[in-house]
Amino acid sequence: MAQHSVLFEDHAEPVTVRAGTLLVEAARRAGIEIRQPCGGQGRCGRCAVRVVGGRVRRRSILRLSEEDVAAGYALACQAVVEEDVSVVVPPADQIERRLSTDHVAPEVTVPRGYAREQSQTVERALLRLAPPSMDDQTDDWARLRTALRIQNGIDHLRASLEQIRALGGILRASEWQVGLTYDTAGEPTGSARLIAIGPGAAIAADPLVGLAIDIGTTTVTVLLADLDSGEVLSRAATYNEQITRGEDVISRIIYASSGDGSDELKGLVLETINRLIATVCSKAGIGPGAVVKATVGGNSTMMHLLMGIAAESIRLEPFITSINAPPLLTAREIGFTMCPDGTVDLLPGVASYMGADITAGVLASGLRSSEETTLFIDIGTNGEMVLGSSQWLVSCACSAGPAFEGSGVVHGMRADRGAIEEVWIDGRSFEPTLRVIGEGRPRGICGSGLISLVAEMFITGILDKGGHIDETLDTPRIRRGSHGVEYVVARRDEAADGKDVSITAVDIDNLLRAKAAVYAGFNVLADRVGVDLASVDRVLIGGAFGKYINVEKAVDIGLLPDLAWDRFDFLGNTSVKGAYLSLLDRAAREEVADIASSMTYIELSADNSFYEAFTSAMFLPHTDLSRFPSVEASVT
Amino acid sequence: MQIEIPKDNWQGSVNTVTLGATPEEGGTRTRTVTIGGQQTLPFLHFEQTPPNRPVIALEITAARPGDWSPVLLDAWGDAIDDPGNWAGACESAGADLIVLSLGLTEADGRSADPESAVRATKSTLGGTGLPLIVLGPGQAELDNDFVIAVADATKGERLVLGLCEDSNYRTIVAAAMANDHLVVGRTPMDVNLAKQLNILITDMGLPLDRIVMDPTTGALGYGIEYGYSVMERLRIAALQGDAMTQLPLLVNPGAEAWKTKEAKVGEGVPDSWGKWEERASNWETVTAVALIEAGADIVVLRHPDSVTRVRNALDELMAVG
Repeated sequence: MAQHSVLFEDHAEPVTVRAGTLLVEAARRAGIEIRQPCGGQGRCGRCAVRVVGGRVRRRSILRLSEEDVAAGYALACQAVVEEDVSVVVPPADQIERRLSTDHVAPEVTVPRGYAREQSQTVERALLRLAPPSMDDQTDDWARLRTALRIQNGIDHLRASLEQIRALGGILRASEWQVGLTYDTAGEPTGSARLIAIGPGAAIAADPLVGLAIDIGTTTVTVLLADLDSGEVLSRAATYNEQITRGEDVISRIIYASSGDGSDELKGLVLETINRLIATVCSKAGIGPGAVVKATVGGNSTMMHLLMGIAAESIRLEPFITSINAPPLLTAREIGFTMCPDGTVDLLPGVASYMGADITAGVLASGLRSSEETTLFIDIGTNGEMVLGSSQWLVSCACSAGPAFEGSGVVHGMRADRGAIEEVWIDGRSFEPTLRVIGEGRPRGICGSGLISLVAEMFITGILDKGGHIDETLDTPRIRRGSHGVEYVVARRDEAADGKDVSITAVDIDNLLRAKAAVYAGFNVLADRVGVDLASVDRVLIGGAFGKYINVEKAVDIGLLPDLAWDRFDFLGNTSVKGAYLSLLDRAAREEVADIASSMTYIELSADNSFYEAFTSAMFLPHTDLSRFPSVEASVT
Repeated sequence: MQIEIPKDNWQGSVNTVTLGATPEEGGTRTRTVTIGGQQTLPFLHFEQTPPNRPVIALEITAARPGDWSPVLLDAWGDAIDDPGNWAGACESAGADLIVLSLGLTEADGRSADPESAVRATKSTLGGTGLPLIVLGPGQAELDNDFVIAVADATKGERLVLGLCEDSNYRTIVAAAMANDHLVVGRTPMDVNLAKQLNILITDMGLPLDRIVMDPTTGALGYGIEYGYSVMERLRIAALQGDAMTQLPLLVNPGAEAWKTKEAKVGEGVPDSWGKWEERASNWETVTAVALIEAGADIVVLRHPDSVTRVRNALDELMAVG
């Protein structure tokens, strides 16, 4: 048998091995231990090394992209030595980073070719008025409007009583040189609504800024944008204060419908938003009074609670909102701490469970700018999904339950410090390797960790296709606990709180229900328009959950359709991006309105094919295994 | 005028499954029962002559049943106190095979155990030469203990062991694999659930020709339409080529029909309901015949008269022209 030499860089002496030896084995001989969390089955990608001289035969390139392979990367547990080679073993953290870069959402960027004059509805005018005299008896308001008409072509200007009250004083104090900020959004051509008026010089010096806000059920995000340049000046995000009154929209609605609940929730979200406004303004060195506009995305329940509108009908059949497309409001009406007559634009939604977070998300995703059939999804407690292209849009929403948010499972937690976010299980010893947020000891399992864990348990045979734990396997990690059969992910001596972290049969059933509901949603959507899920060109994943999810594992359990990895893209918080684009550009704002009005919404609880699709998805990965060819290949 | 009857040309067919083994085949049965093999929907003789007749099983219990109708107890008389005698009576009544239900208690009130389960099985095998289906008492752990013991003690008989359910199938399937038996799996009236259990069972390595499925049905007037529809959809999927639905179907019109008020109650009902004994057996018969028309390969009955009636109906369904 031929012998070949393998040189590991940083090691002076090459080792000599027989042809056919795996790189991990060669490394072991050289005294280098390469981590293999999946037990050397070529599934986890953690043993990636770079071959810099010679070539190896790759038995599997799972988890490596074409570029990786071109750059010489190979999985050490799957790379067969067939000639002399030299190999670089990258530090473990470097591999982690390379594997997780696809999870990081791109920052918001200014739309190409943004020009305020063409795109922005908020405008400013510096007016010099002729002072009144005994010969010129025109009133202050008419004087202002006439000057504006002559100088800026605005024939009709609307103002609030508060503004009219202050008008005379401002005009005289500024010696008839005033600056005006007004918004033409929602007004007929040649008309505008007055936002602010002040002494000419002062107004002209202020930057023109606006806010893009996403009110998530869990997190609220605020961006402060310069409306002149389009640049984001600062950003901030924090938990929605309402979370202490219920974690999901349903419990918020229930809370709001009793006693002062509605006022209380409105107050809590306003507190959250106003605190964030103060933060972004102080970061940018701008007074909140200079903020002239806010554009807001969020689900229909969040919008109703913000407006103080009863949301009970969202929860109850036939699931009707009070309003999908709110009129333009002012900060004074809604309660934002910014310029009181600044415009507050609550973006339009489609239905109770298809809100402005999704219409804004569809805008931000660019789904409509392509002929390709695209699936846009946002998974949380509710899974919202939109299928379409430039020509058409259909959508539906399903209740996924709290499993993906890390609650509703015995040791579930939010994606926070101490949460297990990824798991690999050795297929022979059934011992897990964990990645924990913050790198400390594990406290619990978050949604992405749960998906990863269940996928690994399934691939290694701990779970059968029905999701039942195989109690006959020889490992102390499978045992009967107080919640029935369970798999111990971290023993108490491995965990942070000295308590076992385990996943129970009930947890697994909850996750199965959640994933089945989501996949059944895809299924119904695709069937309704006669599209084969396998022929979907792109899958765009929005929302915080999507930022951390591992596509391979989500496909393994049948949560996401089995498509080539390069068809998936993670977009991060598309709701705030959509709000930002709508804030800057009137055309984008019109497109959101068009998205909302042209999207066909399917109410799944009224769809008789949903239950069938759901029960067939209540299996790992699916009752119809031919829908998941890549999983079929790895389990048989 | 000649009318050409259009014929379907299906891709798939129902698996052919043989129950029981003769001494030459390693068992002790005087005859075996073969079911399945259909390549068309039920009784479409112009498309295919049915390769095997649907068969009639009679259900017996290891100890005298405490909750059976007096109509049934009267019909079987003293035979009911001994599974061997009862099985013999069933054979005389015209059954094609026997279903032995193991209970939680023995005749003397003691808790049943694996030994008593084996005793009842052996007694049944001694009392009849017909193939046998043995079902546990319906509690996962006991089912497993009893069925393992029975499977070991009857190696080679090609018994059908059950019930496999999605949360409890491994032990029963493993026991069947180790001892040359078959299994029956039951799922609650849903095409997908039936298919899923079949996948789980075959994933363990048990060949498809050793599995029978029970999709659960309701009695006439008590949900039979739903059960009928599930069976029909399973059969259509099978004929369309879906391997995980190509299993022969076993259903329990006896157990279902004898749960109904019409079969159970003899007093305080309108006179127009007719004679109790006849009404009860008719209820069972009509339920069974409807399910046979839906595609049942094995119908499990309880009353001896029903066997005759269902067999008469079957003869007519099997007759060409």
